[in-house]
Order: sequence, then structure tokens, then C-alpha cells
Amino acid sequence: MAEGLTRALDEMARQDVDVLVLGREGNARFVSGATRLWLAGTRPFAPGCVVVRETGAVHLMSATDFGVPAEVPRARLYPMSWNPVNVMGAVAAIAGVSSARRIGVDGLTPLFEQLFTATFPGAHLADGEAVMRAARRVKSAREIESIRAAISVAEDAFAVTAEALRPGVRELELKGVFEERMCRSGTTTPAFEGAFCVVDDEPVRRLASDRVIVDGDLVAMSAGVLLDGWEGSLARTRRCGAQTTEDRDRRSRWAAQWTPLVDRCRAGARVGDLRVSAGASIHGVGLGAEALEDSAALEPGMVVQLELEANGVLGADTLLVGDDGAEVLTAFPYAAGGD
Amino acid sequence: MTDDLDLARMRRDRHRKVVDALDAQGLAAAVLLGQPAVAYAVGARAPAADAARAAQQRMIAIVTADGDAPHLYTAFPEGAPPELPADHVHEALPMEWPEGATALLGALPDGPIALDEYTMPLHAAMHGREITDATAILGPCKVVKTADERECIRRAQAINEQAMLTVQAFVAPGVRGTELSGVFLRRIFELGASANTVDPIWQVMPPRIADGPYSATGDVVFPTPTTDRQFAAGDVIWVDTGIDYEGYASDFGCTFVVGGPESRHRDQAARWREIVDRCLDVLKPGATAGDLVRAASADEVGRPWLPHLYLAHGIGTNSAEMPLVGTDLGDEFDDALVLAPGMVLVFEPVVWDDGNAGFRAEEILAVTDDGYEHLSARDGGPRG
Repeated sequence: MAEGLTRALDEMARQDVDVLVLGREGNARFVSGATRLWLAGTRPFAPGCVVVRETGAVHLMSATDFGVPAEVPRARLYPMSWNPVNVMGAVAAIAGVSSARRIGVDGLTPLFEQLFTATFPGAHLADGEAVMRAARRVKSAREIESIRAAISVAEDAFAVTAEALRPGVRELELKGVFEERMCRSGTTTPAFEGAFCVVDDEPVRRLASDRVIVDGDLVAMSAGVLLDGWEGSLARTRRCGAQTTEDRDRRSRWAAQWTPLVDRCRAGARVGDLRVSAGASIHGVGLGAEALEDSAALEPGMVVQLELEANGVLGADTLLVGDDGAEVLTAFPYAAGGD
Repeated sequence: MTDDLDLARMRRDRHRKVVDALDAQGLAAAVLLGQPAVAYAVGARAPAADAARAAQQRMIAIVTADGDAPHLYTAFPEGAPPELPADHVHEALPMEWPEGATALLGALPDGPIALDEYTMPLHAAMHGREITDATAILGPCKVVKTADERECIRRAQAINEQAMLTVQAFVAPGVRGTELSGVFLRRIFELGASANTVDPIWQVMPPRIADGPYSATGDVVFPTPTTDRQFAAGDVIWVDTGIDYEGYASDFGCTFVVGGPESRHRDQAARWREIVDRCLDVLKPGATAGDLVRAASADEVGRPWLPHLYLAHGIGTNSAEMPLVGTDLGDEFDDALVLAPGMVLVFEPVVWDDGNAGFRAEEILAVTDDGYEHLSARDGGPRG
């Protein structure tokens, strides 16, 4: 059985959920290992994947087994339909679903809420996202390797993009440079639309424009990839053209806040406390970005993205939390020349 | 054809439509969590992102029936439209947690609310509120496009088409789909695309459906995610890509034949052309989706499109939206769907010769007062 499924089933038992009906692609991928078409943006809830605790089986909405691991046999694929009533009918026909007392869903629409109530009148709708969040939070050794591999693709593309940061290039062209290089490494899915923005004011913009970058511009760069679904991403701030003494000052002021922040990312630290630092943000990293609540405490094996925007410098690294501090998985230099 | 595009006018027109729809339904406000819905009602932008990240950093819009400017909650204030008053642009509200959901609830006016989707904390927080489905409000607004909206689609599609001309030169034996994606993504940003919205598809089609991949329904399997498989001479590649320009999607489909098309490929493309032309013969205000289905299917064995998809679909701030034509929603649905000026349709029939693969392309048309106009180029047949 796929390790993700085992952890999801354990968490279902802990949270007393009989069946999970999942609409979020990262959740479906975690329990099934399936690669389906990547689309940017939010999608309204639809039942794309079903996990039944009683049978331990994963069922997927798919017309083909292309990209679907052998652990999900063809008999466990259910058809797509534009008619939500048909989709709910297919879900209800899955062995073990109709007898569920508690069904976990990772989102809803007003329409699907009605359909769930009508199809499973005795069942309670539980927070399936809470189940999946708990199951996904602490990474296995294999998952950490997958994240490391994604980071290495991201850093390679980031290096090429930093090279392309020359006078005359437009901000949005750098998005294309990053993504082209990412594709050369064999992955075509970015984690997000890269931000390559000249720093004028704070907060730093995250939407690259058609602005032409000129010599001397300070540029905040943030980008990432998904390799087999796993995220590798980072952020740095670079000067277009020669570095100045001011850059070193800025960076050392940034580092004066950053270093203690990284030092606090260790087992037991409360996420909300890390967020209190001005300009700091933190979220989980796995099959894409993972949400972390303020009240969560860091645990060994969690992988997080720590970001700090201070003194006109944006920087972000991916950290593996351990008992005695964090290992910084991203290794890209903070300054041109390997600083 | 017009080069005139006024984004502020476009946003004003869309907002007015949503307000009028709320008013007509006696609703106090629309609360929108879906990013294409926020893009429509407010005209705001956030970076395109993987679904998980997009959900966590989602923008939220509240459109009130009193006609006041909408309220936008966003982590990306630079993506708010310039005319939106500063006190209507708020910090993001995290809908993954009860605190954010409660704060959103506190920002709502009294009375019945239209909502498009829930996170589970929002579902818990909204318990007891009178909620209707916001898609019933937005759908009728979105389905008829203003001239500005059609111009955005035209521009999105023009960028996509131009980028594909660059890609086309790279199609050769030994090349991989992932490399074509790289060329494509580089080019769309150079040409001014805001974002890429779907992993570009370059699917090598099997000669026969039975050659795989496995099809649960016996129909042609499409689309599948791009792999690093190398193309070989004679491969038939179905292409499907989509980008974003000012919130509007493009949808580009074509067929490449590695090493160049032969006569059988041109014959298939000619049959595809006939199917689309039969649809265009009946495409005008007052015609129904059912009329298009019958026109496309005339002289054909079966319905010449992918049965799990459609003969045609609308496009706008969603890459596929109403009107949907020829889906499994059935004949009654199609016959009840009456076309009106301003509706936009992406036609994507398929010609399949089992043993010789097939041809697929896409063509975008807007319904005009007396017929139609192209928002895409007219498909020119197989490429390569």
C-alpha cells in the first residue's frame, strides 16, 4: 500500500472518519499517487477521489489508468460526468460508502452540499481537509528526497534566471526564462507564477509586470517547481548589474533578522510565534504548499518554507525541521558571486 | 473587429451585471471564493499557482446588491484594479482556518447570500445563514460577453497562436513534449501573457484506441499529462494549451504530424473542417445547442467529439464555462440552451479513424447579432 494512503487511513481512524471524498488534487495525489493534468488556480469542490476506511481502497474519477499507479486497479476508476447527480451516484455505488456515518470532505459547494445531504441522509459531513493536513504534515524519508529533487530543479532554473537578469529584460520575461529551464529538466509544472519584481516600495510586488529592468535595479525573485507533484521553491533578491556596498548592508540587516528566525525553526516551536516577526511567513511544503495553523507546533520531519521580507530584501528557503534545529534544504547563494 | 479595449469599462459593466442579478434575486450580497469568479466580479489578479497554493492565498470578493464598489480581500494588493477605493482593498482572509471564516462572516451584510464555494471552516461558520448557489447568479452574467471581454479572449488567443508558431518549428523526431512546453512557456511571457493556466498538452495519439492508454469507456483517451517521451517520425500529436490575458483564458488546439502531414492526415482535417463549417452554418442568435449538435453529427457515424467532454464550450475567466454543447447533460439540456449575441463558443470536434489516429483542433467563435465572428484563427489543418 502506498505510504500516503496508510497515513491517511490512520488519520481517518484517529479523527473517526469513515470515508473521505476529496476534491483537492494534492490530497488525491497523496492517497493515490496518481498524476493527473495540472491546472493553475482554485477549483470548486467535486468528488475526484474517494478513500474508504473499511476497505482501505482508493477510488479515482478517471476514464483511463494513464498516470495511475497499479495500486489503484482499473475497477476502482469511476467515470467523469457533467451531471453532478451522476457523479454522486458513482460515489455512492463505491463499496463501503453508503454505510458511512461520517464522511470527510475537503471542500464543498452549495450544490454538492445538497447532493451529499440527499444521497447520504444519515451521514455527518466532517472536515476532510483536517484529516489530510494531519496525514501529510510530517514527511517520510522518501518524500524528503522528492522535495530535495524538486529543489535541485528549481535552483538550476533559478540560476539561469539570475543570469538573465540584465538591463533591458522585462520582469515578465524572466518568468519565461525560469519556466523554460524548468522544462529542460523534464518538469513542466511551476509551483506558482514566479515573481520577478523591481523593489521600489514595501511590500514587494509579487506580480511581474512588463516593466523594463535597468542597471542598478534591485529585483525580488521568487519561483518554484513541482517535480512529480513535490514542491521545490525559493526566493532571493538580486541587483541588476554590479553589487553595491548598500547591498551588503541591506543583506546583513536582513540576515540579522533571518538567522535567529531560522534558528527558532526547531521541534516544538509554535508556528504563530514565528509569524509574529515582521515580514516573516511560513507554510508547509509537500505536494504543493501546505497550510499551517498558528497553533501548530513544528515537529521533526516537517518541511517548511520560511520567508522574510525586510529592508527591501525578499528571501525564502525550504527547511527540514529536526530536534536540534532545521536543515536548510535550499542552497542557492544569497548574493551573486556565492555570498 | 476592434482594437478597442477599455479594462475599466469592462470591470464596470461586469460589476453592474452582478449587482443587477443580485437585486433581481433579492439577495444581499455575493461572496466569491473561486478565483475565476473574483476575476470576473472585481477584475483583481493574484499570481497563478498550483491549486493548493491558490486555495491558501485565494482572493475573496464581496459584491453587495446596493451597487457600492466590491470589497476585495487579497495578499496581492497590486493586483487590485486601480479604481477600487483603497478602503475596499483588505488584507487576505485565510479561509483554511475558523478565524478567517469568522472574520468573513462579520464583513457580510444581513440577508440572504449567494456563495460559490466553501472551505470546511467557512461551511461551519456559515451554519444558519441563508445561502444560495452563486453560480446561478454569475452564470447568466458571464455567459454573454461584452465587446471588451471578447477582445480580451481574442488577445489571449492571439498570444497563444503566435507562441505556437514558434513551437511548431521545433517539432521533429527525437524532440520531447517537455521541450515544446519550455519553448511555449518562454514565448507566451515574451508576448505579454499574464500566466499559463494548464500544463501544455502534447499527447502522442495511438493509431488505435486499443493500443492504449487504457480507456474505461472505449473512447479516445484525451488529454493526458505531458511526458518526456521522444517523438518519432509519423507521430500524431494532439496539442491543447491555455494562457491568461487580463483574466481571460485562451484555448488552443491543433494537430501536429511529426515529419509533416500526409494525405490521410489532410483528409481527416478536411472532415473536421466540414463538421465545424456545418456548425457555423447554423450558428446565430436563436439557434440552440441542440441545433449545433445535430449539425455536427449530420453525415457522421456517432457524435464526432469526445463523449466525456463536449462539441463546444464557452470560455471567459474560466477556460471552460457555459454554454456547454453536446455534454452528457443530454439532449433536453442542449435543446433548451438558446444562443444569444455575445456568447462565445470554442468548437472542438474530433475526427477519429481507428487504425490511423485522428485530427483535433479548436476554433473560437462569438455569436453576433446576425451570425458569428472568429476570435481565433480559422484552423488551417494539420501542422508539422
